[in-house]
Amino acid sequence: MREPVIQVRGMTKDYSNGPQVIPILKGIDLDVYPGDMVAIMGPSGMGKSTFLFILGLLLPPSGGSYMVKGQEVAKLTRSQQAQFRRTFAGFVFQSCNLFEHTKVFENLEFPLIYAGVPRKDRAAMIDEALAKVNMMHRRNHPANRLSGGEQQRVSIARALVNRPSIIFADEPTGQLDLKHSRMVMEHFQRFVSEDKTAMVVVTHDPGVAEQCTRTLYLRDGNLYEQ
Amino acid sequence: MLQLNDLIRISLRQVVRQHKRYLGVLLAIALGTGLMIVIMTMGDEVKSNLNKDLDLLGGATIIKVFFEDGGADRMDRPESFRDGSVETVNALPGVNATTLVHMAGGYATFDKHDTDFIMFGVDEHYWKVNGLHQKAGELFGKEAMDKRLRVVVLGEELAMRIFGRLDVVGEWISVNRVLYLVVGLLDAGSVSERGKWGYTPLTTMMDFWPNVEPRRMYVRCNTWDDVGPVSEQVITAIRARQKADHLRVEVAWEALKHIKRIVWWVELFIYFSISATLLLGGFGIWNGMMTAVKSRTREIGLKKAMGAEDIDIMKQFIAEAVALSFFAGVLGVGLGYGGVELATWLLKSQAPQDLLYLYSLMSIIFTVLLGLGAGFFPALRASRMEVVSAIRYE
Ligand SMILES: Nc1ncnc2c1ncn2[C@@H]1O[C@H](COP(=O)(O)OP(=O)(O)O)[C@@H](O)[C@H]1O
Ligand SMILES: [Mg+2]
Repeated sequence: MREPVIQVRGMTKDYSNGPQVIPILKGIDLDVYPGDMVAIMGPSGMGKSTFLFILGLLLPPSGGSYMVKGQEVAKLTRSQQAQFRRTFAGFVFQSCNLFEHTKVFENLEFPLIYAGVPRKDRAAMIDEALAKVNMMHRRNHPANRLSGGEQQRVSIARALVNRPSIIFADEPTGQLDLKHSRMVMEHFQRFVSEDKTAMVVVTHDPGVAEQCTRTLYLRDGNLYEQ
Repeated sequence: MLQLNDLIRISLRQVVRQHKRYLGVLLAIALGTGLMIVIMTMGDEVKSNLNKDLDLLGGATIIKVFFEDGGADRMDRPESFRDGSVETVNALPGVNATTLVHMAGGYATFDKHDTDFIMFGVDEHYWKVNGLHQKAGELFGKEAMDKRLRVVVLGEELAMRIFGRLDVVGEWISVNRVLYLVVGLLDAGSVSERGKWGYTPLTTMMDFWPNVEPRRMYVRCNTWDDVGPVSEQVITAIRARQKADHLRVEVAWEALKHIKRIVWWVELFIYFSISATLLLGGFGIWNGMMTAVKSRTREIGLKKAMGAEDIDIMKQFIAEAVALSFFAGVLGVGLGYGGVELATWLLKSQAPQDLLYLYSLMSIIFTVLLGLGAGFFPALRASRMEVVSAIRYE
């Protein structure tokens, strides 16, 4: 029996705008298994990013249940959530993912530092992650001198470096041209299939969704299969 | 959890790489710290040099110690300073130099022409105590005292009266019918009275004048701060050695107050400037960190997303502020050392090394505290940032 990495049941999210309560998510169910690559599409402003933030334990849901590897996590404290994130999830956002005034490998060191990985073990993990996205040759480059596509590949490597169970990506190819967008998605695919990791990616691009194992649409607070 | 060695390494790296942004702040703090070190280390040295160089100021640090006339009804011999009095007074803390003086009348004969004048019997310390220099020739020293030499230093006005000219060094004159060699011509400085007098070794005066018993002493203090304590101790110190019922002390309190007031204002101004510099530096750190926190909002969001806790973010920004102020402190200590070197060279004196080390250490501690204080609030603000709004921030 395969066990889901994450399991969402009846998840709701409301934003309050003054006295006004705006429901964004209205009772979502979702299971994601290792090796799944789930694309979430839908019009902007529908709450895709909000959903992804909740899945990534960056934002608490308003209601429902959220299980990570069988553990209920919806009501963890801020600090417990931070601890969870260190090893459970990796994030890639649309742009500006890298830190200013740092080199490529230094970017990858931060998740390891926060996760308490001893310094002697870090170099090997960093190199392994960089190799996966073919960025070893840029290891000591200043991060801000890389091209957009290269920066995204480094972000992916940084999301992978802690060997997380799941990767959350919010429009990771939004700023890339077709060629680089393909390349980035191929890295994701390889990583998910080789390491039996899961991935949830928010995207506008049908081409990106095609490269995933499953595509869902978020509309009016609910998720629909294609 | 952020480890200390990672924290230090990352913060130093960040500050070094962003040095351009912080250069002004760094220099301000370094300058303030450097000045502080120089002034605290060299303060007393500068004060005592002011004393030595400025006759005006110097006068205020001289204490006159003298025996009052006993009165007509007293039959016993008048009191006077016994041998060793000078050494006793010199041993008091804050005393720079001490001299004994005796005044007597005399007449000089040159070219069959008599001139009445006042002769001072003085020891070799007299010149130093009063800050006197020669116009020509030299002012006699210890050898003249020890060998009771018949030498004389003349004031300019007196030289004119006796010789009608000033190139008199090397001439012989008869004083009270004894021959003396003129060894020097005195520069009277600001006290023109001194130009009217002659000066001969006290020991020599004892040989050729009747009843020479020194009843007057001048004590020069290191700084004006020493005048009060010394004037209080000097009588007790002498009375511990000899009978001195009629001993009195005279201090130029008015001049002293005046100088102290001026110096107080100068010191106030200096310390105010330094404090302002350091305060400005602290504010610079605060402001720089505040701006940094805002412009690094996204970085904070991303770090929290990858598992940094609030306290980790807080530590990072505080450590950066402290690293910055620590660099400034070290640079300031460097400047301070340079400044002290320069000051000792200018004053031709020695720097008190132990003070220099102490104040350098204190300065480093102080700047680190400054960084802690100035960095705390920006760091708190950074740590409290909501992770999602930080990530959404462009
Ligand atoms: N903190 C917030 N408070 C109130 N409304 C918010 C907040 N964050 C996002 N929203 C609103 O929620 C909706 C969903 O936003 P988002 O999740 O970013 O959508 P998407 O990623 O699908 O474009 C938007 O209308 C947005 O304006
Ligand atoms: Mg979005």
